[in-house]
Amino acid sequence: MKKHYLTGTLCLAIAIVIMVLSSMNFLSLKDLGEIVPGPSVKEVKMLSDYFEGIQDTNMDTEVYVLEGTKPGGKVLILGGTHGNEPSGYLSAITFIENAVIEEGTVYVIPYTNHSGMTHNDAQEASPQFIHIPTQTGTRTFRYGSRASNPIDQWPDPDVYVHAASGQQLSGSETRNINRAYPGRPDGTPTEQAAFAIAELIRNEEVNLTFDLHEASPEYPVINATVSHEKGMSVAAEGVMELQFSGIQMALEPSPSNLHGLTHRELGDYTDTIPLLMETANASQGRLRGATNEALALTGIDKSYVKSQELGFLYVPYDESGHPIEERVGRHLQGIIEYTKAYSNQYGEKPVTFSNVPTYEALFLEASKEDLGGPQLGKYLH
Amino acid sequence: MITLIYRGIIALVLIFVVWHIFEEEKITHQANAALVIIPLVLRFLMIK
Amino acid sequence: MSIELIIFLAMIITFVSGCFILKLPVSISMVAAAIVGAFVGGYGFPLRHLVEGMFSYVDTVLVITTAMIFMKVIQDSGALDALSALIIKKFNKTPALLLCLIMLVIMFPGMITGSSTAAVLSAGSIMAPILMIMGIPALETACIIAMGGLLGMIAPPVNIPVMIIGGGIDIPYVGFEGPLAMLTFPLAFLFVLMFGYKYVKKFEYDLIKSKLNNAPMDKYGVKIFIPIFIALGLMVINKAFPTLPNLGMPLIFIIASIVGAFTGERISVTKVCKESIKSVLPVLGILMGVGMFIQIMTLTGVRGLIVTACISLPDALRYIAMAVTIPLFGAVSSYGSASVLGVPFLMAFLSGSQIVTASAISLIASLGDMMPPTALAGIFAAQVVGLDDYKPVLKKFILPSLIIIIWAILFIVFSDKIAPFIVFK
Repeated sequence: MKKHYLTGTLCLAIAIVIMVLSSMNFLSLKDLGEIVPGPSVKEVKMLSDYFEGIQDTNMDTEVYVLEGTKPGGKVLILGGTHGNEPSGYLSAITFIENAVIEEGTVYVIPYTNHSGMTHNDAQEASPQFIHIPTQTGTRTFRYGSRASNPIDQWPDPDVYVHAASGQQLSGSETRNINRAYPGRPDGTPTEQAAFAIAELIRNEEVNLTFDLHEASPEYPVINATVSHEKGMSVAAEGVMELQFSGIQMALEPSPSNLHGLTHRELGDYTDTIPLLMETANASQGRLRGATNEALALTGIDKSYVKSQELGFLYVPYDESGHPIEERVGRHLQGIIEYTKAYSNQYGEKPVTFSNVPTYEALFLEASKEDLGGPQLGKYLH
Repeated sequence: MITLIYRGIIALVLIFVVWHIFEEEKITHQANAALVIIPLVLRFLMIK
Repeated sequence: MSIELIIFLAMIITFVSGCFILKLPVSISMVAAAIVGAFVGGYGFPLRHLVEGMFSYVDTVLVITTAMIFMKVIQDSGALDALSALIIKKFNKTPALLLCLIMLVIMFPGMITGSSTAAVLSAGSIMAPILMIMGIPALETACIIAMGGLLGMIAPPVNIPVMIIGGGIDIPYVGFEGPLAMLTFPLAFLFVLMFGYKYVKKFEYDLIKSKLNNAPMDKYGVKIFIPIFIALGLMVINKAFPTLPNLGMPLIFIIASIVGAFTGERISVTKVCKESIKSVLPVLGILMGVGMFIQIMTLTGVRGLIVTACISLPDALRYIAMAVTIPLFGAVSSYGSASVLGVPFLMAFLSGSQIVTASAISLIASLGDMMPPTALAGIFAAQVVGLDDYKPVLKKFILPSLIIIIWAILFIVFSDKIAPFIVFK
């Protein structure tokens, strides 16, 4: 055998070993771990119950139905719209595992873009898992991607054209579910999932919808709630209450010319009041330092402290970072206050609940060493 | 459908890259080609 | 010295020693640099990160490979010769106009796909023989083609870097046509005349008539151009009717290549594919190495260090930092550079018109496609005209690059003043 055949075979063999080892790793990402249904969970539906088109696909995702003892209004909580924004889905999961609903029904989708939870973006070096110590042992959650997995939707077009408005965005946004609303039954898998969510809202007559996000600290819309026009009075009342709890929260109107997002399209195409909340997540920022699980959980980052000193950030930033407890606490306190404000203003269809950990319980009362996972773990079962 | 076609295009590229490995005489260039194979195979198999 | 700086230096030293001392291919040197960077950063041998980084370029690999196949098909089928003969015959009396037209043709695939490689390998390779027959040396021809690719990528209607930059702070892609047209077309005409006019002004058709190969045209007639029409037609249809399923550049090139196998001289499919793969493999390998390199830079915090250091400079220096770092980072990918550095710089210049500023930054980002080691536009432009080495092309490109940077910075500085005249929403 000629020498270069031997070396060629050797190179190919090494490539195969690398492929096998990395495949095992990539395939393991499909396991998103277990969620422990809390006291009010009456049923776990699938999103495909509202639109069959996504059945048996990676876009299908669990819908936790939490029912109160008394009838009332309906609230939907969307976590995991973007898999690289962990406070979004961790807040939704904490709600599922703790909330006791008194009046009305709360639907919670912890992983809105299920497909996006099953991979990570190239060149972002995101951590693959988040580990949180709880009383029953360490729980493992995934850290995903902002967009659907390319193995579910590929190739991307050069330019993504939002179907309902004709708005153009870069091609990779095709897989961003928060640019796909109100969705299309015959569209891409991501558009179909967005359509299924709009269908859930229409069929269940959801009154108030939360979409839980995080943003990089240098992004102008942060520590903020973005509201559709019709949610402004609810949001304004809620923001006041949040300020009383010591939470700085800006209220931003949903821009009318930015399409495909929940706070615009779910408000325009369904009867729900959509509110989108943002907290500060260093692990998705462009100015971040070393990217790892600790950064995602604690937000401690000397690179961001420096950026703060230089005046580049839209949130305060110091050596304590922005731990996951603070971010989940903001989201849950937001859900509490906005739901209260909604129930005040729409008294005929109230939604009330208790036992959801507050900002105070999660963050303000926590000892410093418990921040970055352990304090949140006290509320996960 | 379009995904299947693109997997076909990847398969086409892969065949010729592997062929090239066995025609190339320098090991560094063979390694270069083997490097390109890795993501192509994983995408072809829809693993990543 | 911070740990990030130590990691970065370790990566650079490994890369440079791999390339220049051990004489390894650029791709393998980048892989080595990534592995060393991860090790020095305390991450051991992070196989998953190394493999994941490569996935940024899977689509680019397909565009480059299929574009190269398309180019070889139209070359072997005789379509290139036929087109050169035809165009020169028609326009030989007005060489300046012809040059500007040729520039627009080269830019066209870039304008509608947003990819400079697509422009260089498709229209660039079609126009190269015409420019050379008219008397423009290979080097200048390569420069014209590379420039056409770069400016075509930035020119409206499709500009991916600006979409990426705008997406970073949620500006929809609306109202960019004016600024992008003003940024690109004047420069395109300036550069094509700068590189080519002195060679073609005394152009005499009779002298070069004998050099033209009329045989394919005589033998096959207009039929021979069908693959070119199909490629351009499909690109236009995909852009004009967004509701139709998007074929994407690789499929368009494959369809046009299949058609090209039946419209002219007989071609050997295996020979064309083998040759194409052989000529693009070094670049594909570099892209893979670059993917790993950036992933490790991000993992270890080196990327953040670079971005923060760049935007933290005082105002005047910040323009210079942008002019240097965006193209430099574009060495790895102009799209990556638009995202990683373009967005922070846009935020640093937020006081002006966002649309004009983002457009101008995208123009600077395009220069990344001429920055080694990837230098996609440069490498392929050199290949298209038959040069073995692309470094002379890069040298010739220094002056136009400076002009591009100055033009872009002028737009940023005066963005508020010019915006009312060129931004139409």
